[in-house]
Amino acid sequence: MHPNVSQGCQGGCATCSDYNGCLSCKPRLFFVLERIGMKQIGVCLSSCPSGYYGTRYPDINKCTKCKADCETCFTRNFCTKCKSGFYLYSGKCLENCPEGLETNNHTMECTSIVH
Amino acid sequence: AVSMEQGAVPSCPPQCHCEEDGIMLSVDCSELGLSEVPANLSPLTAYLDLSMNNISELQPNTFHHMRFLGELRLSGNQLFRIPGEAFSGLYSLKILMLQNNQLRRIPAEALRDLPNLQSLRLDANLISLVPEKSFEGLPSLRHLWLDDNALTEIPVQALNNLPALQAMTLALNQIGHIPDYAFQNLSSLVVLHLHNNRIQSLGTNGFEGLHSLETLDLNYNELLEFPVAIRTLGRLQELGFHNNNIKAIPEKAFVGNPLLQTIHFYGNPIQFVGQSTFQFLPKLHTLSLNGATDIREFPDLKGTTSLEILTLTRAGIHLLPRGMCQQLPSLRVLELSHNQIEELPSFHRCQRLEEIGLQHNRVREIRADTFGQLMALRSIDLSWNCIHFIHPEAFVTLHSLTKLDLTDNRLVTLPLDGLGGLTHLKLQGNPALSEPFTKESFPKMRVLEVPYAYQCCAYGACSNFFKLSNQWEAEDMNPEDEDLHKRTVGFFPGHADNHYDLDIDDFQLELEESKLHPTVQCTPSPGPFKPCDHLF
Repeated sequence: MHPNVSQGCQGGCATCSDYNGCLSCKPRLFFVLERIGMKQIGVCLSSCPSGYYGTRYPDINKCTKCKADCETCFTRNFCTKCKSGFYLYSGKCLENCPEGLETNNHTMECTSIVH
Repeated sequence: AVSMEQGAVPSCPPQCHCEEDGIMLSVDCSELGLSEVPANLSPLTAYLDLSMNNISELQPNTFHHMRFLGELRLSGNQLFRIPGEAFSGLYSLKILMLQNNQLRRIPAEALRDLPNLQSLRLDANLISLVPEKSFEGLPSLRHLWLDDNALTEIPVQALNNLPALQAMTLALNQIGHIPDYAFQNLSSLVVLHLHNNRIQSLGTNGFEGLHSLETLDLNYNELLEFPVAIRTLGRLQELGFHNNNIKAIPEKAFVGNPLLQTIHFYGNPIQFVGQSTFQFLPKLHTLSLNGATDIREFPDLKGTTSLEILTLTRAGIHLLPRGMCQQLPSLRVLELSHNQIEELPSFHRCQRLEEIGLQHNRVREIRADTFGQLMALRSIDLSWNCIHFIHPEAFVTLHSLTKLDLTDNRLVTLPLDGLGGLTHLKLQGNPALSEPFTKESFPKMRVLEVPYAYQCCAYGACSNFFKLSNQWEAEDMNPEDEDLHKRTVGFFPGHADNHYDLDIDDFQLELEESKLHPTVQCTPSPGPFKPCDHLF
């Protein structure tokens, strides 16, 4: 083991170093590089940061960016909360709601028109 | 949001970080080594993060007073069971995160009365049991994570009453079979992930009821047959079944999926694909198939008009249909390497074609109209064919062509019209192609591979080298050559006082860098045993 890498690490880290934070995670956690000023440090999370979604695979758990108009998502093509200015409808972020639906500015979603 | 440390706001638990957002409070107590939920949490808490602690137990009614709590994070703790009343009173809860705990069954009793819950994370637990009424109390549930657990079957009963569910993952479990009508009431489901299971078989009505499904991920399973059950998925756009054991894709396989945009099926031992398999898929933009050795004929792609990338390699195709480009007006990349194609049609109707890969086929000649009018064509790979003739006007209209690979053919001559823009030209393995080239023929050349070393002399290699090999006198060398002489002499065994410290490869590399036209890498470059004069 490299001299600067220790195993007595915090939280979800399996290995870490003073300078780089987590180098690897305990099983089933997501490895994420967090930027602090000029530095990037590794952190191990049970869910990806906002704006990213997690995909679990047998050998790695990955965080991937959502689309630009999406704040939180299930997969890249399925948004669960849109950024401001967009309305959510069936996993998509729309600037205007489709015909037959109306905008709900409280929930920022497209909803059925209530007659 | 106004950030404040503990103590500034009376209800901010010790060590936690709290933020006020109007009258509501966001409380972050993550990664504090807590073994239980902090007491005195404010009733005005809208967001509570208790993730990555050591909480192993929840008391009934712990959050009973938190009517405004919208998001509760309990992921990354040691919860192995959750009592029935743990979440009672959380009428505003929308997001509940329980992933990365030790749960062995769905805590159905605790999920009984969460009328506004939309997102429920139960991934990365040890769940093997999903009671029938697990999700009864969740009428608004839209997103459900059950991946990375120990499920051995689809929880059909539990999924029977989730009318609002839009996205679900059951990936990374040990599910071996999808029964008929497994998801029949999930009419709002848009995304279904089943990758990394052990699915071998699928009922022909396995996906009945999934009227809204757009994404289906069956990758990394053990399917033996093509999943014909997909025929009922009329809104499907993304389909993946790569890395399975499927040997054939039948005729009209996707007749029920006209909206398909991507199909990923590499990593299958596919031997056979029907002629009509990929017809009438007007949204499909990529089709790639490698190693289907039973395919003898180019597929009929009628109605698949948006195809941009077609990869059909290592099959047995020997003929390309004349009307191929009429069916594929949007084609940009055509990759047909490792087939048995002897004759090429005219590609002139494939107007957007940028790359053609035909290496390792049996093409014999290139006619004037083979690549006619392909203004966007940048790269042609015709290496490892039997080309003995190229029509003088074959490349004339190819104004964008920069890369041409004709390695290992039977060329005697190369028509230069239209090749002025080349940056990469490969001609090695054409022993009868002995004509020398001029620098003017390829003004933008950067990488040139030619049959004989002397053909590299057009790029300035010979004059310097010739001087060196015949006249070792230093007096008529200009300073640049002199410096070169010292270094070159050093490479010759027994010469002057320098010992021979570089082997022949280093010598050639040094020779190339120091003498050839600085931007052109021409091989084989001349050397002591490959003179610039054509000896024969």
